Amino acid sequence: MLGLKKFLFRGGAPSGLSEDVRASLDAWRGSPAPALEDLHFHTRYLVIDIVSSGLDPEKDQLLGIAAGSVWQGAIQPDDTFYVDFSTLDGEGAAVDRQLMAFLLFAAKAPMVTYHVPYVGGFLQRAYKERLGLDFQPQWVDMAWLMPSMFEDKGHTVMPLDQWLEIFGMGGGEGRRDAMANTLLLGRLFQMLLVRAVGKQIDTAARLVDESRASSFLRRTH
Amino acid sequence: MSTQQQTGQEMVVGQVEMTLREQGRTRMAGNTIAFLRNHAPFNKMQPDALQRFAEKAQIAFYPAGSEIIGPDAGNVRYFYLIESGKVQARQAGEVTVTEYSILSLGAGEGFPIGAVTAGRPSTNVYLAVEDSFCYQLPAEDFLALVASSPEFNLFCTQYIASLLDQSRRQLQLQFAQRASEQQTLNSPLAGIGSRSPITVTPDTPLRAALETMSQAGVGSLVVAGEDRKAVGVFTRTDLLDRVVLAELPLSTPVGEAMTPSPFMLEEHATAYDAMFAMATHGIRHVLVTDAEGRLTGVVSERDLFSLQRVGLRQIRQAIDGAHNVEALQQAAADVRQLAFNMLAQGVGSEQLTQFISALNDALTRHVIQLNLEKHAFDGIDWAWLAFGSEGRDEQTFSTDQDNGIVFQPPEGASVDALKQRFLAYALDVNKDLDRCGFPLCKGNIMASNPQWCLTLDEWKEQFGSWIRQPHPDALLNATIFFDFRPLFGKAELAEAMRRHLLALTASNPMFLRAMAKNALDVEPPLGKIRDFLTDLEPDHPGKIDLKKYGSRIFVDVARIYAMASGVHNTNSIQRLRLAAQRLNIRADEINAVLEGLNFIQLLRLQHQYLEGEPGKQGDNLIDPETLNELDRRILKESFRQARKIQTRLKLDYQVN
Repeated sequence: MLGLKKFLFRGGAPSGLSEDVRASLDAWRGSPAPALEDLHFHTRYLVIDIVSSGLDPEKDQLLGIAAGSVWQGAIQPDDTFYVDFSTLDGEGAAVDRQLMAFLLFAAKAPMVTYHVPYVGGFLQRAYKERLGLDFQPQWVDMAWLMPSMFEDKGHTVMPLDQWLEIFGMGGGEGRRDAMANTLLLGRLFQMLLVRAVGKQIDTAARLVDESRASSFLRRTH
Repeated sequence: MSTQQQTGQEMVVGQVEMTLREQGRTRMAGNTIAFLRNHAPFNKMQPDALQRFAEKAQIAFYPAGSEIIGPDAGNVRYFYLIESGKVQARQAGEVTVTEYSILSLGAGEGFPIGAVTAGRPSTNVYLAVEDSFCYQLPAEDFLALVASSPEFNLFCTQYIASLLDQSRRQLQLQFAQRASEQQTLNSPLAGIGSRSPITVTPDTPLRAALETMSQAGVGSLVVAGEDRKAVGVFTRTDLLDRVVLAELPLSTPVGEAMTPSPFMLEEHATAYDAMFAMATHGIRHVLVTDAEGRLTGVVSERDLFSLQRVGLRQIRQAIDGAHNVEALQQAAADVRQLAFNMLAQGVGSEQLTQFISALNDALTRHVIQLNLEKHAFDGIDWAWLAFGSEGRDEQTFSTDQDNGIVFQPPEGASVDALKQRFLAYALDVNKDLDRCGFPLCKGNIMASNPQWCLTLDEWKEQFGSWIRQPHPDALLNATIFFDFRPLFGKAELAEAMRRHLLALTASNPMFLRAMAKNALDVEPPLGKIRDFLTDLEPDHPGKIDLKKYGSRIFVDVARIYAMASGVHNTNSIQRLRLAAQRLNIRADEINAVLEGLNFIQLLRLQHQYLEGEPGKQGDNLIDPETLNELDRRILKESFRQARKIQTRLKLDYQVN
């Protein structure tokens, strides 16, 4: 039974995976994904940002993940996650375990980020290489959704900082850390949800669809 | 985590998850703390208090036009701190209960402190007028923070105290709307009366001065030097008495005919101060000066009471000029009317009760004096004493008599014979006071009672026996008789009584402890489930006796602390202020207590004014259901302040 499942999920984990990670991964795979038909208020959205050594997901390294959640109308202080891979110096089992911990934390919730090809690209490669997992969460891409929800403020895809500037959240001196970025994204996302509801996009499923559609439309037209 | 429980091995990943969640929480809290550090009162709070706030605070978005919280949302679940944007607080319903009807809040400001503290629905509607982000701290974490952080506690206490203040002013405003006179007695003198009074120098000849008066059509002049510092006033009365009748030539300088040393107040003094001075000194004009003492204006009685039927000086004149009790009866009725008008004009309860006391004192003194025509006590030192609320300067509109006499029999005189004469005299005074609207004391605490008409030594002995043997009756008497004040006669006798009393209490710590125990018998009517206990008086279901369960608690505690710290004053507010200084009680703490007492007193006055019928004694029973939402909340806070000083008393005197 277990073997069949591994087969169905294309390949299974690399052989070096430690027992506890392997067992966690199997349990995670078997766990149900949350329904996306609920209203935004009841949906747990995971807002994430990553740290990387460069911009190319194929060559550069994933160095950290900062995540928070938006549900019940607020960013929740006790539902956050932060991992810094850089301190582990590539120690394999520990990285595997941390990646696995993030999966447990995320619990298959829809994920919100800015620029899915970048964030998703790094995560996909890491999960593929380390855990043998094809990481395909339900993505909500703020980079594409912002211009379609806030047409009055900006109608093209633009850097996150420009949006922050428009909403008066910028102005911070120097570089923000990944968690600060995530919290700013979370705030933008809360604003975006209000606009989305105004356009009858009132469930997570519809928001994920809208995200896909807007990125497709903007790329092809 | 459910995965943790599946196998022992998964605990490892589960533990890592816990650790990384913890790191996320710390980072988010750090972000929140960076914001808090830029805003009061958080910038003064200890790091661990900030950490607690930050680890529990959510961040929520409220688009422009959305309601954040309102009366319909049920009990408040969060304390909101505005991170960015603008929020408007608006009174719900049609009746305005705070001084503002709309208040705008910006980044760093929090709400609704009163409601979240009380665990109630908000009275205001809080509306985001711009896109706004708020930190939301759950109510239980807010309360824990108030309990653990002295800085945050102080901030919230002060805020609630300002609510008390607002409500008091609001009450006054409601009165003012009932009255025809809109001018508030709290306004500074700078804006009242004549701004350019006519002045002459002291060396001006009388003829020139009189010509100036005639041309300007005024009845009085201020006499001032070149430096505009007033040295006197010259009025028509002076003209008659000191010029015409004294046959003074008109070439005489006006300085020789004026009334010197005029009464002066600085510009920032209030109309109330001027009125009080007029009542106290029996004068018609108060000169107004700047900080350097230079004349800037004159306020006349007419300026203060131009629209009023009864004027202060008329009352004072009526009292002073009365030749019989009938004339005093009218004056007594006028005192009542004037007090109502003052309440309407926004005089606070502390000042108002003092004011009533001042006029009542004048009235009582005159009754005492009138009766001396029939009873002579020449060559004997004696004094008329006021006890209880009269002794404390805390009279409301319905106060019955509490008085006594202290006398010092001359060498060789018969004490008994003298006492009989004083008793006969006191009986006449008591009866006349009754006719003037001060009802006879039901408990017979009156000077005509042989028990309370005593020599100085007898009083000392009486005080001594109460203090040495603090039986329940003695303690009850202490609460009445230790608040004494001389009204007429030799004040030194009363001072001697006071020194004796304070010396006795200082050397009998057990007595104060017994007083403390006694004072803790009655607790403020705060319910565990309901806001108020309204069934404490079986004869008056649904009502609260604001005297018995309210002001008396403060008064009792004030008396004990005053005696413990050697404070000579009898007024509760003065007692608490002075005792707090001597006992090192924090000023903000005692101010909150005094606000509570003042609010309860004002409710009592309001109740007696609005619901009292003419000629009938008002009571102190109020139905909390008839109060508006904010007043109920503030009454509750006032009772909490009563409980707070009771708790302090309990600790200080180790009463269980």
